Amino acid sequence: MNRTYVSTILRTLLAVGLTGGAMLVQAQAVDVAAAEKLITDSKCLKCHSVDKKKDGPSFKVTAAKYKGKADAEAKLVTHVTTGPMVEIDGVKEEHTKIKSKDDAAIKNVVHYILSR
Amino acid sequence: MSELLKKMRQRWKLVLGLAITGLFVSVALVIGGAYGLAVTSTEEFCISCHEMKSNVYAEYKGTIHDTNRTGVRAICTNCHVPHEPIDLIKRKIQATGELYHHFVTGSIDTREKFEAKRYELATHVWKRMKETDSHECRNCHKEEKMNLELQTAKAKLRHAKGKAEGLTCIDCHFAIAHKEPEGPGPRELFGPKVATQ
Repeated sequence: MNRTYVSTILRTLLAVGLTGGAMLVQAQAVDVAAAEKLITDSKCLKCHSVDKKKDGPSFKVTAAKYKGKADAEAKLVTHVTTGPMVEIDGVKEEHTKIKSKDDAAIKNVVHYILSR
Repeated sequence: MSELLKKMRQRWKLVLGLAITGLFVSVALVIGGAYGLAVTSTEEFCISCHEMKSNVYAEYKGTIHDTNRTGVRAICTNCHVPHEPIDLIKRKIQATGELYHHFVTGSIDTREKFEAKRYELATHVWKRMKETDSHECRNCHKEEKMNLELQTAKAKLRHAKGKAEGLTCIDCHFAIAHKEPEGPGPRELFGPKVATQ
């Protein structure tokens, strides 16, 4: 009786874990091709590169900066959608806005950057 | 000398025959050569190898140099082969190495092999572009004809900065027609100044 009870709990825990894990993977899964297309269309690569130094930080540098931070997604979404002032060579200019209004597409780009 | 002329006069039919044959052979070589150069400079020829078609060409499809508002395109050879006759022939001879790898070694005959060599192959192009001050870009993009009024404020700033730092097109405009390979870019590899040939 006791063993059955423990086994049921374990099975339930496993099921919850698997479902949660699957949901997490789904949330984090990046559509690389779509992200790269939106990045190109938005002209991000004029100032950023995946791993090379340009006037803006590379996606790898940004990913490292936000690694493990809970507010990473929210901060990057704000950064690419609101056109904040950024400083390049001592001159302030408005950051170009991403060319999409689709929340999922924007988040996909953010996850792409964070997973470099 | 007069002895030679005398002999030639005696065998004038042979001399005439040789001269006519020589003329035909040269004309055939010139036409054949020009035809060969023209055919091997077409998009169709480049993508007749699957290595090109399913890798670099697939990535180039849809980029600004493939399709745009006006339909003016830059195909493979516009960016990767010099237009000047001597340099063009030199590059064509060099390209026979690519045939060797296609038929004999199969160095990039699978996607995996291509991905493994992507960075090395990109550095070859970057190196050439640095050495020639991005000559192939400049065949179409004439710096002195760029209308700064039509450029965005950001583009104007960046171009002025690039010029002041001695940069060439490829230093910033890399990976515009093909995927960006992982690793140091042209500026990190070859320095900011244009290398001499």
